[in-house]
Amino acid sequence: MANNHSPVGVAQEVGQVSRNFLSEVGSVFWFIAHTFEEMFERIQQGRVPFRAASFFRHTARAGVDSVPLVGLVSFFLGLTMALLTGYQLQRFGTERLIPGLVAISFTRELGPLITGIMLAARIGAAFTAELGTMQVSEEVEAVEAMGIGPLRFLVAPRMLALFFLMPCLSTVSNIAAIFASSLISKAYFSIAFVYFVDLVKDALLIRDIITGVLKSFLFGLLIGAIACYRGLTVKGGAAGVGTSTTSSVVTAITVVIGFDTLYNIVYTVFFPT
Amino acid sequence: MSTPSHMVELREVDMQFEEKKVLDGFSLKVEPQQRLVIMGQTGSGKSTILRLILGTLRPNAGSVFFKQFEITRLKRRKLQQVRQHIGMVYQYSALLSSRNVRDNVALPLEELTDKSRDEIDKIVDEKLDLVGMKDSKDLLPSELSGGMKKRVSLARSLVLEPELVLFDEPSAGLDPVIASVIDELIISLTEKSKVTSITVTHEMDSAFRIGTRMAMLYQGKVIEEAEPEKFKQSKNPVVAQFLSGSTEGPILEGSLDAITKK
Repeated sequence: MANNHSPVGVAQEVGQVSRNFLSEVGSVFWFIAHTFEEMFERIQQGRVPFRAASFFRHTARAGVDSVPLVGLVSFFLGLTMALLTGYQLQRFGTERLIPGLVAISFTRELGPLITGIMLAARIGAAFTAELGTMQVSEEVEAVEAMGIGPLRFLVAPRMLALFFLMPCLSTVSNIAAIFASSLISKAYFSIAFVYFVDLVKDALLIRDIITGVLKSFLFGLLIGAIACYRGLTVKGGAAGVGTSTTSSVVTAITVVIGFDTLYNIVYTVFFPT
Repeated sequence: MSTPSHMVELREVDMQFEEKKVLDGFSLKVEPQQRLVIMGQTGSGKSTILRLILGTLRPNAGSVFFKQFEITRLKRRKLQQVRQHIGMVYQYSALLSSRNVRDNVALPLEELTDKSRDEIDKIVDEKLDLVGMKDSKDLLPSELSGGMKKRVSLARSLVLEPELVLFDEPSAGLDPVIASVIDELIISLTEKSKVTSITVTHEMDSAFRIGTRMAMLYQGKVIEEAEPEKFKQSKNPVVAQFLSGSTEGPILEGSLDAITKK
């Protein structure tokens, strides 16, 4: 075995880390693919893949219960953004750009991103801990042993709840931030609400809204998949659940930010304005 | 390769977890309506055998059959169908903690059959009545004692009318009276419903109460297999030591010296 500090040792380390990373990416991809496969098999048999009650329980938890947090954080960020950019723009007499700036940056970028980060922390962690505990206490194996597909029964309702609720929560985030910036615009920069709305409408394109919504769907799917994958691959009892939960949140946040960058690059290159 | 006529057959199965070889050329046959008890030390791979039969673990080598189905070769979809004919009672019951007793027992029926809610309720009541848990339908698993959980788990394993029921340490952690109750339940249920059962345990009283055939697992192989009476009189030194619970004999050879030196 080469010395850890030798060039060969470093190359081995890098190789090992890269291999683990790629293997994890592959595992999550197949995890999503197998979940959909189990669902479609079930649909082919003329049955629903999971119970509507289970899906709505998760949407209520992931979506409705997250509205106050997402709304509040986005509201504060909207306030801060309008205030900071406003003072800079005021020096050039262009404070009327504030509404467009906040609206575009939140709709295209910050809304989905902030919501993704918050959902990864709030719901992703909960999903991982919940499924991890079920895994450790053999509940997942018991479900599998009964002949019930654990992916469609346990993972699908959670993953799809996040998939469908993310765009809704991103919209909540956008509205809260734009509303907050309208308050600042009125209070500090004398931009009336009606004028503010006109400026937002002028600046915001349908393309911005679609970009944000598509991104949100993608983030929802990724956060759900990573959280459930980490939960079902827990090893080592209670300590394992803790480790996996931390790892789930860290991975999901990193992946959301990484995919956001990738998405922006692809979108800008292939669909330039 | 010939298809077996037995309820369960394991042929030359090898199973290894990282460095540790748990099963080494393990072979076993279980006849219909038999109550086989597999005995062995803790960590000897008894529960692994049950998981191999269910297909939740895949062996490194060898074949596992349930009736005419080769579990080791089945595709996921077919495996899920075959599993519906096998019931499993886990050591720690493995009830879904977020569902009450009724919902736990009803789960296989709700997910795998087209029965109406009324029909499901009727079956759930019948199975819970069999195990004496009908009055606890609305309780959550966290509100049940170990013995009650085991009984609910048993009821759940029976709702799909399986042909084979697997029991993983059914009386472990229970007081002797409740352990006997569980054993009696296993006997009466398997007799009434004509199902085959495989029980893994290291509890002697329970094993001889339940079993119509006994097998001893040692170092990854079946070293003795016989009717309970013959098994008790086995000349095999490992079986003799295991049954007597003596510290003298081949089981602890080497490791006992290490323990006593400490």
